[in-house]
Parts: sequence; structure tokens; C-alpha cells
Amino acid sequence: MDITLTGIILVICMLLMLTSGIWVALTLTGVAIVGLQLIGNESIGLLLGTSSWGAVTGWSLTALPLFIWMGEILFRTSLSRDLFEGLSPLLSKFPGKLLHVNILSCGIFAAVSGSSAATAATIGRMTLPELSRRGYDDTMSIGTLAGSGTLGLLIPPSIILIVYGVSAEVSIARLFLAGVLPGALLIGLFMAFTTIWTLMQKRAGNSADEVQYTLKEKLFALRRLIPIALLISCVLGSIYQGIATPTEAAAFGVAGSLLLSVVMGSFTLTGFIDSVAGAVKNSCMLGLILVGAHFLTLAMGFIGIPNALAEWIASLGLSPIQLILCLTVFFVVMGCFLDGISVIVLTTSVVLPMVTQANIDLIWFGIFLVLVVEMSQITPPVGFNLFVIQALTGKNILYVAKAALPFFFMIALAIVLITAYPSIVLYLPTLMTS
Amino acid sequence: MNTIKHYFYLTSAVLSGSCLVVMTLLILAQIGARMLGVIIPSSEDFAGWLLSATIFFGLAYTFNSGGHIRVTILLSRLSGKTRFIVELFNLLIGLAICAYLAYYTAYTAYESYIYEDVTDTYLAVPLWIIQSPMALGSLFLTLAMSDGLVTALSGKIPGFAAQEEDALSVE
Repeated sequence: MDITLTGIILVICMLLMLTSGIWVALTLTGVAIVGLQLIGNESIGLLLGTSSWGAVTGWSLTALPLFIWMGEILFRTSLSRDLFEGLSPLLSKFPGKLLHVNILSCGIFAAVSGSSAATAATIGRMTLPELSRRGYDDTMSIGTLAGSGTLGLLIPPSIILIVYGVSAEVSIARLFLAGVLPGALLIGLFMAFTTIWTLMQKRAGNSADEVQYTLKEKLFALRRLIPIALLISCVLGSIYQGIATPTEAAAFGVAGSLLLSVVMGSFTLTGFIDSVAGAVKNSCMLGLILVGAHFLTLAMGFIGIPNALAEWIASLGLSPIQLILCLTVFFVVMGCFLDGISVIVLTTSVVLPMVTQANIDLIWFGIFLVLVVEMSQITPPVGFNLFVIQALTGKNILYVAKAALPFFFMIALAIVLITAYPSIVLYLPTLMTS
Repeated sequence: MNTIKHYFYLTSAVLSGSCLVVMTLLILAQIGARMLGVIIPSSEDFAGWLLSATIFFGLAYTFNSGGHIRVTILLSRLSGKTRFIVELFNLLIGLAICAYLAYYTAYTAYESYIYEDVTDTYLAVPLWIIQSPMALGSLFLTLAMSDGLVTALSGKIPGFAAQEEDALSVE
């Protein structure tokens, strides 16, 4: 059968199954089965069996449930309060004040948690009521939270980067390194936007002016940031210095967060069991998707769609910039309907040969992809951060999306910047080789 | 019947959770041992196998608690009979794919048993032993899917659907 026709049938098949509401992981498997059937493969079942076994037994993949578990443990501690109370005094002189606390707490929490929805939920639960009590503009508090909640995807440890690294066969430690500067860039852009906005409006935060802090209070507040600073430097520091693999660092992280929750007095047996259950749920969800994606990648290879696509793109003679532009638009549209992980696994199974063909660095591409996924987290109708914040505030999803819109453009700006200056992404990973 | 179901999903969760905890302890032990200059043989491979056990054992529990993601834009806009039919369609296709997966993961483990395959790692372990969680877990998922189908057919709301609604309305 003609490969274009096969491709079209598979795309229709996938769209039908997805929109109808069949579980994403099973859809991937199902489409792969249909595809292999179309080309007359006779050992589909055997391929499925061996591919499923190979999909979830990798050593580097073991970091995934561990980082999820770590986030689940910290989610149940008073860490978000500590962050809030530690950062507020320090940022009280900044135009925009507590809005920056929103951004920075998300950024810091992202450095111990791998998921964007968890970051937004943990920080938002603490900051949103407080911001509204102190009379901050609702739109802006929600916007900063929605925007910076997405940092959980980019700032390592990041679940989505592990998924990308495993499926694209790129070193996870390098990906983690590559995410640091773009993450910092994004925080910088968010804070710059908030500062300019505040200076222009001069209305947000006026009521918080009464709260002044002495130098002594500020120094005292710093104390509350010590535990998390220690945890971050142990976990990420050990990866960056090359003394631990991401998996070992993740196991350290789990032990460290348990220790932290005991020291902070928030450890309970129920909480511990809940954290394991939460970790199981998220890991199994991702695991089944990986099983499906692994099989789909295999099937795609047999059918030859990725290579055909790569050749077709090459024949068009697009420059890498044009290709990136097209891909960005494509991913943003896709991200409107699919969640981030699905976008990533579909990409790695179909688009990667095309990217390699265009001589785009796979580490750079991973970070680019995550930034695009971040954008998709805050676009309706399917944006997981929007759902989380909608649940937290009770505001309509379109309202939340509108509040997050400026931050959507900030992420777009970050994509432009890393495309213009790829060394923002690639500088730190090159240090690791030397 | 409900008690049996309860224990079934509990078993799935407990098996998966224990594998996760054991895996973490193993990795920590490995780090500790390395500091003391001792090497635990094949610990990385065992961690990988425990990972597959964690993931497959927990599939049924995750399914029942609405953890497996899907696109609900269409479903949430439907109601009454149309919704029932679309949901039935999803469950039937889902069940078919799960059953296929369960059959062939079991077949893979069975083949390893017949051919007495062992792993190519430092400690040679019979492959079927470490592959059986994969087969069992997929079977659990198929059972969970059938449970969802039967519940939906009897006019009640399946566990996963109830949880999905909760996740959207409360959080």
C-alpha cells in the first residue's frame, strides 16, 4: 500500500480514537497495531510483547517514578508556606512584590518537582489566597501563577525531559543541564514583564505597601529557605558534578524529602502511604504511555513513515529556522488538544528522523519541545495548568487563559531567543564533556 | 462483589507501591555500598526489572482511579444516551487492546519459559520470572477494563469516570 495513504489512514484512526476518549496510551498501541496490519506484518503480537518488555526496564527510566515520588512527598509538607514566607520579605522592595514571590516560588519548587500541574497546585494553594487578601490584581496573580507553574516542565528534575530523553535516546543528565539556563531565562522574562506591568499600571500591590520588613527580618526569613536550598543542591548538584546519575540523585531526593518532612514535623504514616499511591498512579500512567509510544515508534519504523517524512521535508529545502517555525505552529495546535507527554511521545516516534536530517541538535530540540509544551499547558481547551488553576480559584477557564496570555508570549519570546542563541541551551551541556 | 473489587484494586496498588519502595531502597543501598567500595551485583538491572513490575502491577489501580489520561473534550459535552454509546465504544476498543496486550505479554513470558531464556546480565536470572509481572499486570488491567465495561453496561458509573469528574470539579 502507498505510504501516503497508510499515513493518512493512521492519522484519521488516531484522531478518531483520541477525540472519542480512548485512553491515550491504548490509542498509541492501537494505531501501531492497525499500521502493522496495513503493511501486512505477521508477527505484530510478538513485536508488542518484546517491545513492551523493552519499554519500561531501562535503568535511566527508573529516575521517573523516583522524581514523581519526591514531588508527592514534598507536596504534603509545609514547603510552599516556607517558600512564601521566606521569599516575601526579600522581594518587598521590588515593583510587583508578591507577584514575584509567585514566580520565584514556582521556579524553586520546580527544581524539586518534575511536574507543572503539581507546581502550580502546590504554590497556588498557598499564594493565591494571600495575594487576593493583600489586594493584588486577580488577573495578574492568576497569570503569574499559570505562567510560572509551567516552569516545572523545564527546570530539572523534569519528568517530561526524562520521557523525552528515554524516547529520543539522549542523555538525561545533559538534558537536565540544558534546561537550567532557559529556565532561568524564563524566570527573568516573567519577572521583567511583571515589573514593567506594575510600573505602568501602578495599581497592583499598592495595598501591600504597608508591609515593611527590617533587615533583621529579611535575614531571618532566609532561614526558612535553607532546607529546600540544601535539597536542591544535593539532588541537582550531584548530577551536575557527575558524581551521581539522575536515578541515584532521584533516590537521594526521595530520602532527602522524607527526612525533610520528618524534620519539619509534617510526616505521618497516612501521608507517606498517600505519597506512594500518588507516585504509583502517575508513574503507571506515564509507564503505559511509554509502552504504547515505544511500540508505535517501532511500528512507524517498520512502516517507514518517519523516514518518508524526513525525505519529504528535505526535498522541500526548508531552512532549519523555517522548519522550527512550522513545527512550533504544529505543536501549539496539537498541544491545544493533547497533553504535553502525548505531544512528546508522538513527536519522538514520528518527527525525530526529520529533525536529525535537518541537523538540529537533539538536546536543543528537547528543550525547544518542552518550551512549546509549556505554551500548550496554558492554552485552551486542553491546558493542564488552566485546569488546576480553574479548580483552585473557581474562575472560568477562558478567564484564566486570558490572564495567562502575556506569559504565553513570554514563553514564545524565550523560544525565539534560544533559536537565535542556541548556546543558551547548549553551553552547560558542553561543559560536562570537558 | 464490591469487596472483591476493592481488594483487587488494593492488591494492584500495594504490589506496585511495594515494588517502588523496594526499588528506591535498592538504589540507595547501591549508592551506600559503592561508597564502602562494595558492588551489589546487577543492582541496576534489578532496579529496571522492579520498575517494570511497579508500572505493570499498578495499571489496574491507576485505571480505576481515573489516572490514565484521555481526551475528554467530546465526552464532557455529551450527555444521556449519546454519551453512553461513545463511552461503551471506548471501553470495548480499550478492552480489545488491553486483552491483546495481556495475551502477548503473557506469550512473551511463556516463550521465555519454554526456551529457558536467562538474562544476559551479571547474575543470570530466568527471564520468565522477571517478565511475569508484566504479564500479570496487563491481565489486571484487562480485568479492570472489563469491570469498567460491566459497570457501565449495568447503568452505573465506572470507578474511573467518577474519579475523572471529581478531578475536574474539586481538586
